[in-house]
Amino acid sequence: MTDMTHPIPRNSRLEQLRHRFLRTPLDIAVTAASLLLALFVGWKLLDWAVLSAVWTSPDGLSQPCRDASGACWAVIEARWRLILFGVFPYAEQWRAAVATAALILAGGLSCLPLFWSVIRQALLWIAAFALFMVFMHGGVFGLSSVPPAQWGGLALTLFFFVAVVIVGMPLSICLALMRRSDLPVIRGTAIILIDGVRALPLVTILFTAALILPFVLPGWLQGDKIWRVIAGFALFFAAYQAEVLRSGIQALPRGQEEAAKALGMGYFHRITRVVLPQAFRNALPPTINQLVITLMETSLIVIIGFFDLMASGNAAYGTGEWSFAYVEVYAFIALIYGVFVFSLSRYGRYLERRLRVGSS
Amino acid sequence: MTDTAIQIRRMNKFYGSFQVLRDINLTVRKGERIVICGPSGSGKSTLIRCINRLEDHQDGSINVLGTELNEDVGSIDLIRREVGMVFQHFNLFPHLTVLENCTLAPMLVRRFSRAEAERVAREYLERVRIPEKADAFPSELSGGQQQRVAIARALCMRPEILLFDEPTSALDPEMINEVLDVMRELAMDGMTMVCVTHEMGFARQVADRVIFMSNGEIVEENTPEAFFTNPRNERTRGFLAKILAH
Repeated sequence: MTDMTHPIPRNSRLEQLRHRFLRTPLDIAVTAASLLLALFVGWKLLDWAVLSAVWTSPDGLSQPCRDASGACWAVIEARWRLILFGVFPYAEQWRAAVATAALILAGGLSCLPLFWSVIRQALLWIAAFALFMVFMHGGVFGLSSVPPAQWGGLALTLFFFVAVVIVGMPLSICLALMRRSDLPVIRGTAIILIDGVRALPLVTILFTAALILPFVLPGWLQGDKIWRVIAGFALFFAAYQAEVLRSGIQALPRGQEEAAKALGMGYFHRITRVVLPQAFRNALPPTINQLVITLMETSLIVIIGFFDLMASGNAAYGTGEWSFAYVEVYAFIALIYGVFVFSLSRYGRYLERRLRVGSS
Repeated sequence: MTDTAIQIRRMNKFYGSFQVLRDINLTVRKGERIVICGPSGSGKSTLIRCINRLEDHQDGSINVLGTELNEDVGSIDLIRREVGMVFQHFNLFPHLTVLENCTLAPMLVRRFSRAEAERVAREYLERVRIPEKADAFPSELSGGQQQRVAIARALCMRPEILLFDEPTSALDPEMINEVLDVMRELAMDGMTMVCVTHEMGFARQVADRVIFMSNGEIVEENTPEAFFTNPRNERTRGFLAKILAH
């Protein structure tokens, strides 16, 4: 009788483990083999990355690394400024650091609910880009001018990513709204643009923007190569993001827009106050996805002569001195990309939790 | 003419080549309560959705509060401002609180200040007996509560006319009365109402006129008394026999 009143006895942690992994001789064998393998790989990795690693090289040479069996983190110590700032003039690299920090700070601030309005976002990013241009480009306030051709590393990658998203996101909203217009001409234009851009590989678009557009555009419209490439990349981003947003819009019941119409709200208010807030919430996971993909794809700009994070990394081990240390350099670059992607996905999860309030 | 709220003349509506509304003539005076009933697919929802231009009509004229409904966006907005609508599926905005649902349109369309819009919203939430839910989200409310909020939201625009499109059809039976009670009170206050509903008890008590539609036509138009006790048309009799049988 006492058994009836007690719940099923809860196994201890240990018992659960035994039940799951050590029930039959085969289980035991598989478990033991896996454990051994994990221990072996773990130990090797720990030994390579930490225990036998060379952390520093006082004279900036690679000889201590060549003598050791572990990872050569000294390459990062010797080359980190190249990885972060590329060929930006060495003495002026503090400027690139300030400019990059301004972008990262603005990115962080723009995620705060305090800045969740179109006007505040606009002001924030205008300020951030102004600051970025003053420090990165210079030519004002007694700072020497550094043209975009000399930008590089993490600073260039972040600038490129942020610029593409800030130009591309409003464009994607326009395309998504045009695509569901009642007017055939507008809808057709959006479809042709979206499908046309999606029919082209990104590399083609980047080449066109960098190399072919100068032959077509009048001189005053050409600008620096970097702006043309950003415009091309933003168009590419917008074409995909427009379809992501359209899926978010189509998930709304028709009654939402009808209710707004019945209340006398005009098109602009219906879209900005009723449709888009809900569409963005619906489309949040694929939007974060699109952002992550875009950050990764910025490494393609190396093919048209930009020295982004990835390219700077290649250069960092690309000397005879450090050519053996590419694994360490790639690990470091992966860590940098990883930090940004991880932040993005954590922020996405936070948004999903927060915005779930009120959804059915 | 000044006491005419809605005047529909010889109106026809087509979906492609399929005619959904046939030669509709209907005049609603200010303060009148009209109930429209009929079998499903008879065009009654389509008819009232034409009054605030959620559907367009192809032929004939609709005049609402002295404004002619046509392609002109200005006249459509003007009419929608004065004509509130309550939907079968409530259609509250799920990303906004109850209070924000009620203040959104008055602030954007009527240019009320936030303070004024909130004062009006709380007043109407009080009237539909749900003031304590002002800060809740629609998903936290029952169907009956949501529909009462939807009525308050429509009232916050201070409309001259309220359209109801089967307001109780999506509700669980025990919630129907709380919504009908609110609608009865509105009727007592002299609101001009056009209701598509199957609630025959409500029609009998509240309506000035009952309109029966079938196959896109107005088949019978009568006082509730005559409509229920002595329907003239064969199809009306068949319909009433079916829905009053249980």
